[in-house]
Amino acid sequence: MSDGIETTLRPRSAWAGIAPVGRHGRPGGEPGLTLTLREEIGLATLIAVKGRTDALRQVLHERFGWSLPDTGTTSLTGERGLVWCGPDQWLALFETRREMAGLVQALQGLAAVTDQSDARAIVRVSGPDARAFLAKGLAIDLHPRAFQPGQVAVTALAHMGAQVWQRDASPAYDLAVARSFAGSVWSWLSHAADEFGYDVRNAEPVAQPRG
Amino acid sequence: MTTITLRDTASPSGARPATAAGQGFRTATGGMIDRRRPLDFTFDGHRYGGFQGDTLASALLANGVRLVGRSFKYHRPRGILTAGSEEPNALVELRSGARREPNTRATVAELYEGLEASSQNRWPSLKYDVLSVNALAAPVFAAGFYYKTFMWPSALWEKLYEPLIRRAAGLGRAAHAPDPDTYDKAFAFCDVLVIGAGPAGLAAALAAGRAGARVILVDEDHRTGGRLLADRREIAGRSGADWAADALAELASMPEVRILPRTTLFGVYDHGAYGAIERVGDHLALPPAHAPRQRMWRITAKQAILAAGAIERPHVFGGNDRPGVMLAGAVRTYLNRYGVLPGRTVAIFTSGDDGWRTVTDVSAAGGQVAAVIDSRSSIPADLRRAAEAVGARVICDGYVTGTKGHLGLEAIEVVDTYGSRQTIACDCLAMANGWNPIVHLDSHLSRRPVWDETIHAFVPGALPSGMVAVGAAGGAFTLASCLETGGRAGAEAASACGFASAVPETPRTDPESLAHTPLWRVPVSKGKAFVDFQNDVAASDVELAHREGFRAVELLKRYTTLGMATDQGKTSNLAGLGIMAELTGQPVASVGTTMFRPPFTPVAIGAFAGHHRGKDFRATRHVPSHAWCEEQGAVFVETGLWLRPAYFPKTDETDWLKTVNREVNTVRAHVGVCDVTTLGKIDIQGRDALAIIERVCANPFGTLPVGKARYAVLLREDGFVLDDGTVARLGESHFVMTASTANAAKVMQHLEFCHQWLWPELDVQMVSVSEQWAQYAVAGPRARDTLLGIVDPGFDISNEAFPFLACADVTVGGGIPARLFRISFSGELAYELAVPAAYGDAAWRAIMAAGSAHGITAYGSEALSVMRIEKGHAAGAEINGQTTARDIGLGGMLAKKKDYIGRLMKERPALVDPDRPILVGFRPVDRSQRLRAGARFLAIGAAPSLAADEGTMTSVAYSPSLGHWIGLGLIRRGQERHGTRVRAYDPVRDGDIEVEICSPVFVDPKEEKLRV
Amino acid sequence: MRIRCPHCGTRDNGEFSYLGDAAPARPDGMEAQPAAMHDYVYLRDNPAGPHRELWYHGAGCRSWLVVDRDTRTHEITGVSSARDVALSRRTGEVA
Repeated sequence: MSDGIETTLRPRSAWAGIAPVGRHGRPGGEPGLTLTLREEIGLATLIAVKGRTDALRQVLHERFGWSLPDTGTTSLTGERGLVWCGPDQWLALFETRREMAGLVQALQGLAAVTDQSDARAIVRVSGPDARAFLAKGLAIDLHPRAFQPGQVAVTALAHMGAQVWQRDASPAYDLAVARSFAGSVWSWLSHAADEFGYDVRNAEPVAQPRG
Repeated sequence: MTTITLRDTASPSGARPATAAGQGFRTATGGMIDRRRPLDFTFDGHRYGGFQGDTLASALLANGVRLVGRSFKYHRPRGILTAGSEEPNALVELRSGARREPNTRATVAELYEGLEASSQNRWPSLKYDVLSVNALAAPVFAAGFYYKTFMWPSALWEKLYEPLIRRAAGLGRAAHAPDPDTYDKAFAFCDVLVIGAGPAGLAAALAAGRAGARVILVDEDHRTGGRLLADRREIAGRSGADWAADALAELASMPEVRILPRTTLFGVYDHGAYGAIERVGDHLALPPAHAPRQRMWRITAKQAILAAGAIERPHVFGGNDRPGVMLAGAVRTYLNRYGVLPGRTVAIFTSGDDGWRTVTDVSAAGGQVAAVIDSRSSIPADLRRAAEAVGARVICDGYVTGTKGHLGLEAIEVVDTYGSRQTIACDCLAMANGWNPIVHLDSHLSRRPVWDETIHAFVPGALPSGMVAVGAAGGAFTLASCLETGGRAGAEAASACGFASAVPETPRTDPESLAHTPLWRVPVSKGKAFVDFQNDVAASDVELAHREGFRAVELLKRYTTLGMATDQGKTSNLAGLGIMAELTGQPVASVGTTMFRPPFTPVAIGAFAGHHRGKDFRATRHVPSHAWCEEQGAVFVETGLWLRPAYFPKTDETDWLKTVNREVNTVRAHVGVCDVTTLGKIDIQGRDALAIIERVCANPFGTLPVGKARYAVLLREDGFVLDDGTVARLGESHFVMTASTANAAKVMQHLEFCHQWLWPELDVQMVSVSEQWAQYAVAGPRARDTLLGIVDPGFDISNEAFPFLACADVTVGGGIPARLFRISFSGELAYELAVPAAYGDAAWRAIMAAGSAHGITAYGSEALSVMRIEKGHAAGAEINGQTTARDIGLGGMLAKKKDYIGRLMKERPALVDPDRPILVGFRPVDRSQRLRAGARFLAIGAAPSLAADEGTMTSVAYSPSLGHWIGLGLIRRGQERHGTRVRAYDPVRDGDIEVEICSPVFVDPKEEKLRV
Repeated sequence: MRIRCPHCGTRDNGEFSYLGDAAPARPDGMEAQPAAMHDYVYLRDNPAGPHRELWYHGAGCRSWLVVDRDTRTHEITGVSSARDVALSRRTGEVA
């Protein structure tokens, strides 16, 4: 989306009406989990044109300073970068949608770029019980010996498609699910998180320069 | 109870007893119960006392309650046989109301304050049970009874036999209210899974844990230690129980070791996958707040160590099921672990040295040992001396041949080596007939156990790689060998996972002897000698099966029900096999054994469901306009996982048809908007994008210009229609394909199959954009006028600039990127507008606002369906996996000059047979009559028969445009028969009406409305 | 069962769906004959033992996979990307 849009339409969060901000579940003490609702992230699928992966790698590095992550890994700086999501496929992440402008042009002939900013509902899962919590729905091994910051898995969460990548060793994970499933995902989330006590927050708004 | 005064301590009126005083069979000291924490509980309405650490069984025994249930078939009085999950008799209903749970084992139910339990399978009461007359008719209920008796006359089956059997069958009563508890699921991964926390399991976990491996240790008991808690043993100069406590403490200190007590490993699956159920809150009156009642674990382990132990075998003799007859190991468990005397005067019937261990334990706890009867002809002198020292009569080469007592044991009948018979008074008989390794889990993967002649038991056969059985589970019965095999296996498993480890030294243990000569049944006994207590299978049933030729183990099992039901033959299986071996004159090894299936012990269905019940049974997908639809009071319908608005009733519309008619009429006269986001949307780019579309679609696309969309039909390779949709060309090598709601995922998978497997050389990039775009159909004569209010100025959507089947990128609402397609499912001037899903809610509201001046209505899937039937468009009812493109009237559009999926197979003779039913329209001859989908077509006057069947009505609707019901259907040679009449025969709903065959296009056949 | 996806690592079989025998090759092109197509669509061996089969990692990376599995024991001896197998087959045809 380019700058200077004077739209009368307001976006609706994938979590709107679904995820109530505040403290939930087991009361008392520090919550075991913090669920941070991520909004307004720019997302695009990149699929390498046949035989152009190396050229794509080079252009991404030159134009964005990004390195193309290997299978099962991410290459993120702050809230920007690339997340592997399949053979020759990556998810490009931007802090805001407007930053995505120019991506299609830059990768012309090297990768099919498809906007997916609205296709996912994303929540950041952090806190001391983050692993125990995610282990209730993800059939993958999240033990630090098996899964670390910089790794990503495309899998299912309680029978719903999900992609999860670890942000840091605290641990914190980003969990992305299909937007239309947000209600059912939250129903599972609130059930699974109940015993730990959990805080639901909105992500800090990104400062948006007005042009 | 008439003869023994055991129950005198319990108040029959239900008055509260003095907790400690009421427990007449509790030893003064000892046991691992917490005597400072007394608990009250009720059984069949009577109040009793117990202690923290008791099971329901140990607490009942402490109160002198021996009669706890009635048997399945004969309603015989039954007591407590075991002290573990193998219990076949003491099945009770726990709790009440919505939490009532039948068939729980009293032997593993932990006591808590206020526990409510009641006996099962009795009426009107446990002591006076009417159906115990079944026991008098016992010969009637022998093996094969049902198969033989209820064969004829067949007329009696439904009216008499089935209701009769249903009333008598089953154990316990399920709760009738929804389960109020929650259940959890979790996945766990480890290097080494140790199943069982007895001496072998603890040794294994210690060795693996010390090496640094990730270890999961599961045990079904709430207290780890296994037999170390039940027998008075010594390890390294300390009591076995102390050693176990120290081992547990060390394991608990290891960060990579997870200990799961109260957790039953119930199933073993391929490639290191295991199922386990953790009883998080079953030991409490109510699960703690914010915690589940139970948690289902799916464990993935690189290495697994089976240390589940062994189960003691009963003796088979007449009356061996009388309450008071118990396994010797269980007697010792109650004595040593729970501080309970199962009887004041105990007799011991053994076939090995192990049973003699019970003598000193009973005596030490203050009980009297009346006699030890050993079926072997010679017994070690030291054992005899020890027994005689406590005043026990010792009978060598003897048998227990019968029992006496009304509702509990009062005496046993014994025959000695000289054949002389005597009666010995006792209120408890401890049976020791050797032990069976628990081979259930290792046979879950079809690994058949093998016979070990040295220990007279089946032991695990060849196990899958990464799995080993140790300790008693592996046939190593001595404590020393448990510790040795466990420690070794733990170290080796850790090594196999890449951890440096050393086989630990085995600590010194007290001496023990396991000499044993099994006795499959007592040769001279009277009365029913039970093999399988839970299924009421007696030795005589095995004999009958043998006589009637059901000798193979699998047949024996099915014919007699031996080893079936909830305990899966844990205590019974081998005795049955042993008797069959005797009867057939072959060794047990040749008879073989049946296999055991998961679950090891019963698992509540709720635990398998976990969170996925009620509305969460499966996921629900919401459309972008969902919030608005809810505000408007829409009625929703489930379409696959999607929840779609079906129609939008206004307050004065009480009948759904009235609402749908209004929606249809409004669209046809003015304009309507419908959320069609549920369609699958696939973005296809790349140099060969067109090539793959040409190969997966049966109609041609080579001529499709940029900026145009076209209807698409996809076939399966077998020639039948897979799905239909549209393909829009957004750029020279950029397309977006839509698929139907029901087939969206299937079509994506199909495209990926074609791209990755059939034609990997194609340069194509495909990705689903179904979730990215909210898509709304805006249809009706005022559709364009409505869109002019939301599409930004600067985009020319006039009929000239943007004709039928045009597509373009536009912006809406002041710069929001959108895609506009001029396609129509309703037959009206119509568009589909796609906006980014986050703007879906706002765009929908903007369309409603823009359309209000034009009389807009929201319409749901019902009106959508009515309009597509009015237009004769095939949908799911017609594209049902059994129809070809020709069948649904699309034969003419198929490409002739390209290869595509399904091209050759659709030409098979049967698929092009002119008699094949083909899609046409139907209307009732009497226009006031209603049509029914599913009706069969018959010639008028033809009798209903398969041969006369001409086809089926697939879709029907009331057409508000025409004022009568209309239908689509598939009928033989339908295209040649417009104007003729047939019967629509629908016997299920008493429908049999005349219908007229007509064109499937009921509204605007010249498509004048589409292109204006 | 657990299947080692070459892209995602070992995953529970619930993430995969099964198609069947990987041996038949589609008779492509306008010159393909109905008899050959019939065999491709319908004729399958059903071996008790080693079997090369197609699986789809639908809940993961969406890759089609060729899995070598023993139908008697479920032992899996190899998993490859179907695309790689198909490409090497094509090369084999050319060579």
